[in-house]
Amino acid sequence: MATQTVKPVSVPGAEPTSAPGTAPSRLRRLARALLPGPAPGANGAALYRRWWLPWLWTAPALVCAAVFGVFPFLNTVLLSFTDAKPLGGAANFVGLSNYTRMLDDSDFWLATRNSVLYALIVVPLMVLLPLMLAVLVEKKLPGIGFFRSAFYTPVLASSVVVGLSWQWLLADDGLINTWLQKAHLIRHAIPFLSDSWLILFCAMGLTLWKGLGWYMIFYLAALGNVPRELHEAAAMDGAGAIRRFWHITVPGVRQAMMLVGTLTGIGSLRVFTEIFMLGSYTGGPGGADRTLPFYIRDVGLDPLTGNAGYGSAVSVALFLLTLGLTLLAQRLTKEDES
Amino acid sequence: MRARRLTGTVAGVIALALTAAGCGLSGGSDSGEATAGGCKVDKANVGSGKLSGEVKGKITFQTTNLKKDFGGFFNGVIKAFEKAHPGASVKWIDDPGDNTFTQRTVADAQACTLPDVLNVNSETATALTKAGYLLDLGVKDPDSAKPFVPAFWKSSTMKDSSGASVHTVFPWYTGGIVLTYNTDLLKKAGIDPAQPPKTIFGLFADYEKIAKSAQGKYYATMANPVWRIPADWDQMNIRTLSADGKSATFADDPRTTQWVAWMAKLYKEGAMPKDSLSSSNDPSTPYSQGKVAYGSTNPSFVRFVKQNSPSVYAKTGVGQQPFDALGHTTGAPQYISVAATSKNAPTALAFAEFLTNAENQTAWCKDPNVVIFPTTTASLDDPFFQNVTGDDPFAEARKLVAEQLKTATAYQTNLSPAVQNAIVSQVQLAMQGKKSPEQAVKDAQEKADELLKQGS
Repeated sequence: MATQTVKPVSVPGAEPTSAPGTAPSRLRRLARALLPGPAPGANGAALYRRWWLPWLWTAPALVCAAVFGVFPFLNTVLLSFTDAKPLGGAANFVGLSNYTRMLDDSDFWLATRNSVLYALIVVPLMVLLPLMLAVLVEKKLPGIGFFRSAFYTPVLASSVVVGLSWQWLLADDGLINTWLQKAHLIRHAIPFLSDSWLILFCAMGLTLWKGLGWYMIFYLAALGNVPRELHEAAAMDGAGAIRRFWHITVPGVRQAMMLVGTLTGIGSLRVFTEIFMLGSYTGGPGGADRTLPFYIRDVGLDPLTGNAGYGSAVSVALFLLTLGLTLLAQRLTKEDES
Repeated sequence: MRARRLTGTVAGVIALALTAAGCGLSGGSDSGEATAGGCKVDKANVGSGKLSGEVKGKITFQTTNLKKDFGGFFNGVIKAFEKAHPGASVKWIDDPGDNTFTQRTVADAQACTLPDVLNVNSETATALTKAGYLLDLGVKDPDSAKPFVPAFWKSSTMKDSSGASVHTVFPWYTGGIVLTYNTDLLKKAGIDPAQPPKTIFGLFADYEKIAKSAQGKYYATMANPVWRIPADWDQMNIRTLSADGKSATFADDPRTTQWVAWMAKLYKEGAMPKDSLSSSNDPSTPYSQGKVAYGSTNPSFVRFVKQNSPSVYAKTGVGQQPFDALGHTTGAPQYISVAATSKNAPTALAFAEFLTNAENQTAWCKDPNVVIFPTTTASLDDPFFQNVTGDDPFAEARKLVAEQLKTATAYQTNLSPAVQNAIVSQVQLAMQGKKSPEQAVKDAQEKADELLKQGS
């Protein structure tokens, strides 16, 4: 294929340009950009198109991101190399000792196990269940609005209210145990709130129940983009509902599933309220249900005696874990796509 | 190329950040200046020597969530102080006392802007004293001890950064401790409500009797050991921490293991609801429903039952909390402190003394809206506390607490949440049978020691 040579086009009224990269040209461009008033020779909207205008419009957001995102992050990284305490005066640089302590800390590893387990169980369920729910409520049937609202209601409820309701449901003399006992299905109450594994699984159930409605909305929007003709054609070819779900619906909402998976993964690694509500402030009996954010609160966030340095080191570990799992998920998805 | 540029940028950011950290982390003070908690202060506010100076100028006084119910009382106290000291004025700040209150106080301390006079609880006073933010009241006015019940004053000390005991707080008011119980449920278990146990293990033996008679229909108490650690150990005179507060010592006392063994046995035998092992619910609600035999130990709880569950109130009995080996009760009161950073320390000290004097303490404790008790000798001698009439549980509670406060102390072990959680977690594991009491106590001490070593 022959390459075409593009000749420079002269714009009427524009100043003659110097050779690219030469000093006079660069100076002129800089002066033109910085000087007030419209660019010489420009017209219409271009009159006010300056290099700094995009920065000006995005400045509030950038400042907010810097103050509330970048600075706290860098500060956390720095603190993780110190022995900072809320009232301890000046912090001392302690090198990697917070990190070595962390690696030797059995409580840290227990919290990491719980967080990873939480993500491994909650993410697949949270990706699939709301999609199925969305497929069910997508149909235009009389009264379907009621079901959509009902599924969405837990999203609107405060986590604390939901947690308390679940406490009442799961207590030894709560609704579930009472029903099961009345139905003679169990003799003794199931220790939902005193067995550490059951607390962890109930907390996962709570996360799922609260998130179903939220992600259902995501999928409802995504399902609108799946061409109906594909379903009709597949149905004519004899494909059943399950087959159409796997071969048309799922590929059609693939991007939404990616988004839900990533958001849920990040959320699962940051879970705190559910564990606190069901396992109280020790994080279940013996602290066996503590997740990484729970552990960070325990070791680093007490306003009077917290060990901010060590808490920051665990926070950095949580960040790296989140980043690592997100990148891994992206890579697996890309490989799958290719 | 891009990778090299990225590496360069990251290295630059880290270098900048470390430089900034270096600036931020280098503390220190100018030589010759008096400092307290890293803040420059008047030389008279620190070190030895009585504080002297005119009582005048403006000071701030901070309480937590008192304005709504007691605004009239405190405005009256402030007006009386300003009248007695022309030229002095007090600005009252009433913090909502929500869950970020402590963070705000810490932020004020770090910014060297603590209120001149502040109401603090035991935990906050401990931390502020350790960091040097509070005036040593015992040194700055040696006479300030006089109005208080001697045992209370003597025990109202905090440890400074060197581990020495200093009087940085005035004991203000206290809630007292009483045993509250459902007499019907005790009688069913064959326990005489008129003869409350004298020791913690005696109380545990009564819990066991209740478990055997109740057969799961009701319970003796709640399971979460967080309600009992370190209060029970204090009462048994078990030393939870070393004298300087820098290491844990509870495992060295064999009674600690016995205590954990008792808790594990009671939990297994059904003296406590199984799902209350790590629950944050205290006994108030189940007691008011007649599901638990022993209620909360706070006298104001008796009033709560009276107002919310008259039928259970009619069966409620009140007895002395077991004195056990300690021989008296302990109860961390609310404290009044003066900030070492105060610009008008003589005025702040004078106001703190005025606020906690016998006259003002008596007046407030008589307020029908509160169930609190004073810490000055003259207040406790007041007929209001000495001649309590009536034999209903509420009157009984008042009589008992007024009596016990003559010998009570404010010495209560303060554990940081991290240390307390570490100990409680191990005891919970023992209660579930996942560890032996011996192992749990040993592990709890090791974990507590590790945290204490790191400054928690």
